Amino acid sequence: MTPLAPSVFLPTGARGRTAGGGRAAWLERRIGLLLVAPAVLLILALSVYPLLYSLWVSFVNYDFLVPGHAFVGLRNFASVIADPIARSSLATTVVLSAIDVAMEFALGLGLALAMARPFAGRGLVTSVLIVPLFISPVIVGQFWALLLQRPFGPTDYVLGILLGQPVTINWLSGFPWNFLALILADVWQWTPFMFVILSAGLTAIPDEPYEAAEIDGVNGWQAFRYITLPQLVPMILLAVTFRLLDAIKLFDVIFMMTGGGPGTSTYTASFFLYELGFQHFHLSEATAGSWLFLLLTAAAVTFLVRRLLRAEAAQ
Amino acid sequence: MSKDKDGNTAALGRELDAWLRGDHSRRAVLRQVLAASGYAALGGTLSAGVTQAAVELASPDTPLGRVQAAAVRASTEGPQNGSAYRAVQAARKFKGVTLGMTYEAGLQALEPRNFSGPLWQQLTGMSYNVVELSHPDQYAKPIAEHIAQSGAYDTLDIEPAWIPSLADGGVIAPIDDFVAKYMNMADLEDYHPLYKFLPTYKGKRWGFFDDGDQLALYYRRDVFEDSKLRAAYQAKFNRALRVPQGWDEYAETAQFITDQLAPKVYGAVHFRKAGSPGNQYGFMQEYRANGGVLFDGAMRAQIAGEAGVRTMRQMLAANKGSVPGNDDLDAVAAWVAWLQGKAAMLYSWPPTGRMSENYSQRDKAVNFVPHSAIAGNVGYAVMPGGNGEMASGYVKALAADSANPEAAYLFMQWVTSPPVSLVRVMLPYTLRDPYRMSHYNSPDYRALWPASKEYLSTLAEAANGGVVDMIMPGWQDYALSLDQMCTSVWAGTDPHAALTKAAAEWDAITDKIGVDSQRAAYQQFLKLPGSAANHTIATMGLAVHAN
Repeated sequence: MTPLAPSVFLPTGARGRTAGGGRAAWLERRIGLLLVAPAVLLILALSVYPLLYSLWVSFVNYDFLVPGHAFVGLRNFASVIADPIARSSLATTVVLSAIDVAMEFALGLGLALAMARPFAGRGLVTSVLIVPLFISPVIVGQFWALLLQRPFGPTDYVLGILLGQPVTINWLSGFPWNFLALILADVWQWTPFMFVILSAGLTAIPDEPYEAAEIDGVNGWQAFRYITLPQLVPMILLAVTFRLLDAIKLFDVIFMMTGGGPGTSTYTASFFLYELGFQHFHLSEATAGSWLFLLLTAAAVTFLVRRLLRAEAAQ
Repeated sequence: MSKDKDGNTAALGRELDAWLRGDHSRRAVLRQVLAASGYAALGGTLSAGVTQAAVELASPDTPLGRVQAAAVRASTEGPQNGSAYRAVQAARKFKGVTLGMTYEAGLQALEPRNFSGPLWQQLTGMSYNVVELSHPDQYAKPIAEHIAQSGAYDTLDIEPAWIPSLADGGVIAPIDDFVAKYMNMADLEDYHPLYKFLPTYKGKRWGFFDDGDQLALYYRRDVFEDSKLRAAYQAKFNRALRVPQGWDEYAETAQFITDQLAPKVYGAVHFRKAGSPGNQYGFMQEYRANGGVLFDGAMRAQIAGEAGVRTMRQMLAANKGSVPGNDDLDAVAAWVAWLQGKAAMLYSWPPTGRMSENYSQRDKAVNFVPHSAIAGNVGYAVMPGGNGEMASGYVKALAADSANPEAAYLFMQWVTSPPVSLVRVMLPYTLRDPYRMSHYNSPDYRALWPASKEYLSTLAEAANGGVVDMIMPGWQDYALSLDQMCTSVWAGTDPHAALTKAAAEWDAITDKIGVDSQRAAYQQFLKLPGSAANHTIATMGLAVHAN
C-alpha cells in the first residue's frame, strides 16, 4: 500500500507553515498512518484475528466433550476427510448447487427475454416476480415445508384432484422428492435474482447490431445465438458466480424443510459444519472442515472470476 | 412501616378468603399479598410494584385459582420451613438483581412470562429476563456462552441427559451447598422416585427436576369399545381387542384399526420427522423393552443386535398402520391428527391428555392446535411393554458463570417447590408436566376434567416402569445418530444395515470421548433407576402410586 502524502490533507497555505514545527511535522508525517489505523485495527480485530484463531483451533483439540487444547497436527483435517457424512455433504452441495443455479439461470434468462420488450403491466409483473428475493430464506423454507408436508400440506391434495387419484408423495422425507422440494424452494426464491441481473444485461445491449442483423435477414434464434448471448456473457458469468457463491452455502432451507434428513441424505457442507460445530461442539473438526470447504470454494471462485475477467476483457 | 406491615399481614388472610369467595379482584389480592410481605411497596406506592409486570391469575373459584392462592400463601405466609417461603425470604437481599433464565421458546417460556417471573419479581424485587431458545439451543447456547465467558445466563432449563456433558464441561454448577443451606428436605422427598435421582451426577446434585416428560399411551375408548370392531377383531385374531400390551401387538392393532376404519380413523400416529425428536425416544424405549442393552463391556455399541433389528421392524410395522405421512410429522402435527380424531392411538408427552380434553385450548396461546374432537373418549395407559421413555424432561440447573449464583439458586428452589410447581404444571398452556407426588395427588388437578384422576395415576404408573434417556456424556451425538438411522430406514434403507452404520457411529463417538471415561459414565448410568427395562423404579421395588 502506498502511504498518502500528509500534505494533501492540508490547505495550500498551511503546508508551508507546518513544515518546520516539531509536533506538526510529526503529525504531518504520520497523519496518513493515523487515518488508516482505525480501519486496519478493525480489520485485524474482526477478520484477521478470528481467521488466525480459527487456524489455531483447527490444529488443536477444541472439543467440548474432550478437555484440553493439545496440539493434534492434521488429525482434525484427516478426521473430516475420512468422515463419510462430510464427503456425502460435499457431494450433495455440489449437486444441489449445480442444479439450482442451472435451473435458475435457464428460467431467469427465459423470463428476462420474455420481459425485454415493453408490454402493458410489465412493471407490475416485474415487481411481483422479484418478491421472493426479499423474503428471508428461513421463511421460504417454512413456507414450502407447510405447503408440501404430509398429510396437512395441500400439495398432495391438489395434485390428487388434478390427477384424479390419491397422491401420497413424501415430499420432505422420500427420495428423490425431498431433493426436488429443496430445489423447488431454492429456484422459487432465487430465479428472480438471475432475472434481474440478466434483464440489466439485456438492456445494456445496443440496438445497432440487431438493426444490422435485421437488414441482413437473420432470424430470431440467430440473433439470440450470435448477438444477444455473446453480449450477455459477462453478465451471465457475473450472475452465475454470485449465485453459485451463495448456493454452495445452502443452509436455511435445508434446516427448515428436511433437517438434513432422512438420515443425512440432505446434509449440505454448511449444514454438516453447523451440526458438527454448533450442535455438538466438535469445534476443532468443524473449523478444520470450514477451512477445507473454504479452500475448495476459493478454487471454484477463482476459476469463475478468471473466466469473468477474461470475458470482460474480450468485450 | 412495620405497623403498616402488621396491618397488611392481618388483612391478607381476609383478602385471600374474599378472593376465594370471588368478592375481590385477583389484582387487589395480589396487592395485599405484596403489601403484607413488604416487598413491592417501592417508595410507598404499592401500585407501582404491582404494575412492574402482570401476574396472570385464574378465577379464584377454579382449581387453578385455588392452587395459585395456595402458592402465594406458601411464598408469603409459610409454612415457614417450606422451601418456597425460605427461598422468598432469603432472596429479599438480592433485590435489584436481574436473573437471565433460559426456557424453551414458545409455551414453556410463556409460564415465566405470565406467572412465575412476575410473581417472583413482586415477591423479591428481583428482575428476570426470559431467554427463549429452541430445544437444541438449550444445550448449545449455554455452551457457547460458557466458552465466551459471557455470564449471560443464571438458570438453565436442560435435559437430565445433558447433565454429564454440561457438568464435565463446567457449564453448570453443583447446588449441594445451597440445598443444605436453604432446602426443606421433605420437599425433595415429594418427587416421584424416578425423577428424584435424575439431577444427580458423580455424587453431586446439579439442579432440580422440573418437568415429568413421561411418555404414555393415549387411546380412543370409543374405538376400542366399538362392538363391530371388537367382533371383527375377535373373528380375525380369536382374542378380544384390548389396549396393546406389547410392541408387536401395538403394530398389529394399529394395522387392524387402519384396515377397518381408514380413512376415517387410522390405527396410530407418531412423530417420526427428522429431528422431531420422536425417533430417538421411540427407539430407546422399544429397544430396551425388547431387552436390548446399549453397550458391552468393551463399550462397543450393541444396538445392531437382535433387539435392535426387532425394534426397527416393530417401528416400521407401526408406521405402516399409521396416519399417512406419519414419517413427516413432528410432535405438534401428530397432536393435530390425534385431536382431529384421525388416530386411535398416540404415545406422546403428558400435554396430550390435557389437550385431548380441551383443557389446554381454553388459553389462546394454544390455538395452534385444533379443538379436540375426542374429548371424553380418551383413555390412558402405560406404554406397550410397560417401559415408556422418560423422554427429555427438564432440570432447572444453575449456570456456572452466573454472577449471582445464590439468587439464581433461590429462584430455582422457589419455582420448583411443591406449591409453586403445582401451579406451573396446571396452567392451561403449560408444557410442564406433573412430576411430584403432590401433583399426582392434588385434588385441584384431579378436578380439571372428569378423567383427570385416571390421567394422573397413569402418569405416575408410567414413571414407575419408565426408562430414561442415556444420561452420559455425548448423548446428543448418540441421539442424533439414532434419529438419522431411523429416518434413513423410513426412507427405505435396510434396518440391519442402518443399525450397523449407527452402531459404528456410536463406537466412533465413544472412542472420541474416551472409552475408559465412557465406560465409567455408563456404569454410573446403569445404576440410575430407568436405565434398563429390568432396572426401573418398579423392578427395584420403589414403585409409588397416586392415591
